[in-house]
Order: sequence, then C-alpha cells, then structure tokens
Amino acid sequence: MKIAIVTDSTADIPQGIASQHNIEVIPAIIVMEGKSFEDGKGLSRQEFYEKMPTLEKLPTTATPSSGTFHKIYEKLFLNGTQSILSLHVASQLSGIYNTAKMAAQTFGERVHVIDSKSISMGLGFQVIAAAEATAEKLSAEKIIQRVKDIQRNVRVIAMLDTLENIRRSGRVSWATARIGSLLRIKLFVEVKDGAVLNLGQSRTRRKGVEHLKQLIQELGTVERLAILHSNAEADARQMLAELNLDLPKVPHVVNITPVIGTHVGANGLGVAAVLK
Amino acid sequence: MTTPPESEATPEFIEKIRQRPIDGFALKNLASAGLTWLRTNQELVNALNVFPVPDGDTGTNMVLTMQSAFDEIKDSPEEHVGKTANDLAQGALMGARGNSGVILSQIWRGFARALDGHEVIDAPTLASAFAAARDTAYKGVVRPVEGTILTVAKDIASAAEAALENTQDPFEILEIVVEEAAASVERTPDLLDVLKDAGVVDSGGKGLYFIIEGMLRFSKGMPLDTAVASVKPLSALNFDDAMQTVEPGQDYEVVVDFRPTESLNLEKYFDALEDMGTSIQIGEGDGMYRMHIHVPTEKRYEPIDYTMGIGTITKVHIENLLAQMDELEKQRQEQPLKLTPVEPGQIAVVTVAPGPGFANVFASLGAAAIVEGGQTMNPSTQDILASFENLPTDKVIILPNNKNIIMAAKAATEVTVKQTAVIPSRTVPQGVSALLRLIPDGDFDAVVEDMTSALEDIETGEITTATRTVEIDGVNVQEGEIIVLHNGKLILSSDNLQNACFSFLEQADANEYELITMFYGVDIPKTEAFRIGDLIRETYPDHEIEVQNGGQPHYQFIISIE
Repeated sequence: MKIAIVTDSTADIPQGIASQHNIEVIPAIIVMEGKSFEDGKGLSRQEFYEKMPTLEKLPTTATPSSGTFHKIYEKLFLNGTQSILSLHVASQLSGIYNTAKMAAQTFGERVHVIDSKSISMGLGFQVIAAAEATAEKLSAEKIIQRVKDIQRNVRVIAMLDTLENIRRSGRVSWATARIGSLLRIKLFVEVKDGAVLNLGQSRTRRKGVEHLKQLIQELGTVERLAILHSNAEADARQMLAELNLDLPKVPHVVNITPVIGTHVGANGLGVAAVLK
Repeated sequence: MTTPPESEATPEFIEKIRQRPIDGFALKNLASAGLTWLRTNQELVNALNVFPVPDGDTGTNMVLTMQSAFDEIKDSPEEHVGKTANDLAQGALMGARGNSGVILSQIWRGFARALDGHEVIDAPTLASAFAAARDTAYKGVVRPVEGTILTVAKDIASAAEAALENTQDPFEILEIVVEEAAASVERTPDLLDVLKDAGVVDSGGKGLYFIIEGMLRFSKGMPLDTAVASVKPLSALNFDDAMQTVEPGQDYEVVVDFRPTESLNLEKYFDALEDMGTSIQIGEGDGMYRMHIHVPTEKRYEPIDYTMGIGTITKVHIENLLAQMDELEKQRQEQPLKLTPVEPGQIAVVTVAPGPGFANVFASLGAAAIVEGGQTMNPSTQDILASFENLPTDKVIILPNNKNIIMAAKAATEVTVKQTAVIPSRTVPQGVSALLRLIPDGDFDAVVEDMTSALEDIETGEITTATRTVEIDGVNVQEGEIIVLHNGKLILSSDNLQNACFSFLEQADANEYELITMFYGVDIPKTEAFRIGDLIRETYPDHEIEVQNGGQPHYQFIISIE
C-alpha cells in the first residue's frame, strides 16, 4: 500500500527533510503590500522579516485554495498512491485544515485530513513521524495512531519580542482584547491543543530569554527538539548552546515561515519539542 | 453575453432581462453581476473583518471564490441552467478560500443540486434552490455558529419560501430575498457577541448579501461598478471615527443639515461631494438629511453652496479639524480606562495606581481592575473590595504597590468569599514587575508564588521633595531639597532633580542592568521629563530608556531599573 504524506508550509519542515521523505508541502500564501506570494517563493524569509517593520500595514495571510489541494491529491493518486495523510496547522488558528478537508471530500476515504492542533515544527514533527512510519510500511490507521501519540507529546513554547503583532493579527482572542502595551514587553505563549495560551510577560530580552530557558528546562525529557526563531538566528543558536541539553539528535534551528511570522513579529524565540 | 449596463438602463433592457426565462445563459449573467458587485464592495467587506478570523480578509476570500466559480462558466455556451449551476458550484469548490469562501462554495453546491435536471429557474425552483443551499451550507460546518453567513443563508431560504405565497415571478422573489438578507445581516450582532463588541456586522453574511444584491441590481439595470453611497440613520453617524483618519488636505469639517426640495438623487449628490472632499457621510431621519465631509481650506464653502442648490439648508457647522483633533486627543485621555477582560475561572489582578498614567500602564499590562491611591491617598479596604467583587471570576490577586496599603488589601481578602492573595508590592515598579508574571489560566498558588518572587527582580527609585529638615539613615536633608529613596530607603539628597536622577542611577548600579523606565509625575512637565530621559540615554547608551507618564502626585519621578 503506497501512502503519501501531505502538509502545508506552516510546518516549517527543513527542505532537505521534506525531499528525503517525499513529503508534499503545499505553500500557504502571504500578502504583503498588495502582492501575494506563495510561501517560500519569490520572497525569502530574511527579506520578509527585514521588510516587515517598515510596512504600514501588517502582511496578511491566506489559505491556498481547495483546488490547490485537490490537484496535489489527484497528482499523487495518478502516480500510484493509494492513500494520503494530509496533516495541517491547528484548525483553530487557520482555515487551511478546513480547506484541505473540503478538497478531500471528492476522494472519500482515501484522504485522511488530520488537525495537528499545533504549528511550525510542532506540526512538522508529526509530519516527519508519519513519513518515517510510511517507510516502515505501516497501515494508514497505524500511522494515524502514531501521529496522535506524538501529538499528545508535542509542546510549542515561544517568547514573542512584542505583543503588537499577535494583538493586531486578531487570531488570538485574549491578545486581541488587550489594549496595546505602553511599555515594551516580551510575551510568552504556548500552543496547546490548537489554542494559544498566555504564559506571562517580561520587560527585558535578557530576562525573557532566561525565563524561556527555564520554561524549556521544565518541559521534561525531550526526545526531539527544534529551535524556532523569527529572524534571530544568532540568539537562537546561543540559547541552544546555553540550554546544554542532552539530546539524541542535533536539533534543527528553524527561521519560522512569514505566514506565522506576521502574526508573532520578528525576533521571537521558541522551541517545538516532542517529549518522551 | 449581455454586458451589465454602465449606467441607468433603458426600460426595454430591464424588461428584456426580466421577461426572459432564467436559463443557463441568464444565470451566467446573474453570477457575473453578483461577482462584480461583491468585488466593487470588497473593501467594505474586508473592513468588517476585525474579529479573530482564521484567514486573511473575508471580502478578498469571497471574491476569489466567486471569481473561480464564474471562470468555470464564463466561456461556456451552456443554456441548461442545471448544468451551468453545476459548473459554477464546481468552480466555487475549486477556488474556495478561507472559511467564508468554503461556506460560499457549499451554498453554490446546494443551489446547484436543487437545479439538477432543470432547464430554467422558475419561482418554486428558486425557493427550493435557496433551501438546498441553506441545508448544504449548514452540513458543511462542524459546529454551525449563528450570526454568520449561515444565518443569512437560512433567512434567505425562509424568505424565498414565504414569498412563494404571493408571487410566481422569480425576480420578485429575488427582490424580497435581498431585502431580507439585508435585515438578516443587520441582525448578526444580536446573535454573535463578538460582532456586537466589535461594533460590526458579520463580514461573510455581508458578502453573501452583496452577491445576491448584485444579481438584483443587474435585473433592474442598476450600475455595478461603483459602490453605492449608503445612507445611515442619523443616530448611527459617527464623526469621531471619521476624525481618526484625518489626512493632509482635510483641513475643515463641514456638516450641513438640509431638507431636499425634491427626492434626493443620492448618487449624484455623492459624486458631487467626492469632487470636494473625503470622509463623506450622509444620514437621514424624517426626511431631514445631514451631510458630513472633510474638505481642504479653499473648498470649505463648496459643499454648502452645492447643497443649497438641491434643498433648504437648516443648519451649517464648520470646524477647523486640526483644532478639533487636539480636543479629541484631550477627551481620549480623560476617557475611562480600558481594562483587560477576565473570564470566569481566570486569575484577575487588581492593582493600586497612584496616577492616571500608571493606571493606563497597568491596564495595558493586563490588570482587570484599578484602584486609585498611593502615598498620601491610601485606598480603604472597602475601595479595594469594591474593585474586584463584581469581576466575573473568583480568583483575585491584589497588588497594593505601597507599604501603607498592604494591610488594607489583606483586610479585603478576609471579607470576601473569593479566593484571593495579596502580593506585598511596596513600590509601583514592583507591582509592574509582578503583574508581568501573571498567567491568567495558570494554577493560582503557583502564579502567586511566581509573582511574589518577581518583586525582587526590580530596583525602585522614588524621587520627591523633602517636606522638612531631617536626618534619616545617615542622610542629612534640608526642607525643599530633592530626595531619593532606593527600594524605600532614603539614600541621598540633592539640590536639583537632574543630579538626583543621575546619583540614584549610579548608586543603584544601573550599569549592571538593561532597562531604565522613568515614570514622571504631575508636577513636572513632559518636556522636562523627556529632556532628563535624553540625558540619561547619552550617559547609558547601551541601556534601553523609557520615559512614561505615571501621573503620580508628589513624586517627580518613579524610576525602575531592571
């Protein structure tokens, strides 16, 4: 049974890994200054983050059309795929899951659309686990089971350098309800069960990074880890070094997609972890 | 294909459209009109998108979905309406974007399903198609929410069904349906609190309305390429909002009340006004109109002259906008605080603030309630109790921010049934530091512990004028001198404010920290506070320096170092 794995670009899976495992990555769409870009095409992540602070209006995001999903699914089936697992960013945060589900309807039971309830590498780890499981020739049901197990153990926590982007993006109701902060603050958040939770604030970056490190150390035993940053690679690498974690694998350091970046702002730091 | 007319169509044209049976060709024209009208009003729909929505802008998503639907049929010679509808639905499905787009495609799918096998649409078929559209739309959503595009689709279906009793003309049904859709959109805030809170109607519902209104407009030969001027009830005119978007060239606000001599040709009036200025609003009540416009200085009398030509002016009001802006800014500062809403079960923080500036700072950091008070105006137990008794949660943390208020705060915790804790913050910066650690959904005891430990994270300087001559802690103070307290302890006196600030920073080892925040009090002018802030910035170039209005009495500065 040939099973294909599909995800979207908010999974932040490093390109090498995606091609190694034949993972189909559907680009989400970013709209900046009236121009729309497919995530990863025509606009580099660095370019985006450097440009964002100069824009009057925050860039917005859009889901790929259901036709895009439909075409990819169709192409995979034409190439001999018998079953597709399509894993996507938390449905509470984006319409991508619903759009994929819509496109999947035509194919009936052959496409399984899964709500990862997570984001960035929190989704990415679920996708990679699914891809690894296909190599073991497991059945679709078994693979879904394995994904759900990982899903329970995935944690995403982050320090946003500012409250403003998440407040203005409108996706997180508690942040939207807040008035803008008069003082400069860093905001700590956790993505859990598809929701974004408030883990407190800090005034200075140094103290913020210390607090983030503490939160990471309190996570428990980490099996897989990715360091996430929104265009703050030096800080991300330094934090990783200071964390001095004993990990079975070298963690990926990922500059997160602009599709998420516009909602969280530049200079954010965080982790996605799979716990034992 | 018949092109929708640019302007008012001839009666013959309208007659032709309305007498023709609605076959596949006619449906194509109607879909084109729906798309065009939606696109014309796209920005209006986007503007409604202020509430947490999963994706981008609703107007854009719906236009793209509708465009994809129309692209599927635009070059097709199909005359069979069932087949055309089916193609439309297929195109909508393929192009569906965003949640509203997905639901719109479901609506088309249901609509098409009911037309399956029909060559033309007659009145009963139209009603059953709207009903099928509603059913499919509801089925496509896991947890249907009322007050959205779904509700509008439902009300459309009901209106079409009811209309069947009075007419067998599909265009008359369309007319009734559009009217009901408009009313349904207006009702959405009553069904969905988030809309009411944001003061908007549902964007998806409004988009659906524009699509069917576009069809109706086409059938009446009305133009589709210019957004129609809308008239609001007088009570709904909100000039404050218009004020917030004043741009260069909008020097004067002109408001004219008038009674038109003949029935008002609104679009013509609007066109004329658009040549004069911006931010145009027109309200109507009892045949009386009120027009609002922003114009450059040299055109300030033009709207009045023009309006005089079409009616009797009863009142004119002209105001210099820049002056008005200052006034609004002042009012805004005097407005009640916007506090962070708290939900049942969450932890709320009540904090004492010694001035309006601090109250705003605390509110912006997530405080649920503020009690006024400080050094010389200690709030009572009753004041503190009253601030949180009505909060919709039973978990409350109190930040007294002054050593003389801690007792009263503790007393308040003893007379309430709520779960409460006092974090013994002795200075306002300590209160800020503690509030930052609030995790509203966290475990109460853990949050209290964490917030308490945050008190040690910050150094506080309080700068004031000595009220008498005295020696405390080995510091000699003359009445009238500037004195500095470091974490509540008197450390130095000085003959001027600037030196006092610098001496404090030095003695408190500011070098070792990253961030200095200067909250200035009511007794020193903003310019002076910023001047001292700039000097500090020069001396501590690696530090972040923030200068904020604390609004506290007696203390020129309250400074935090962290």
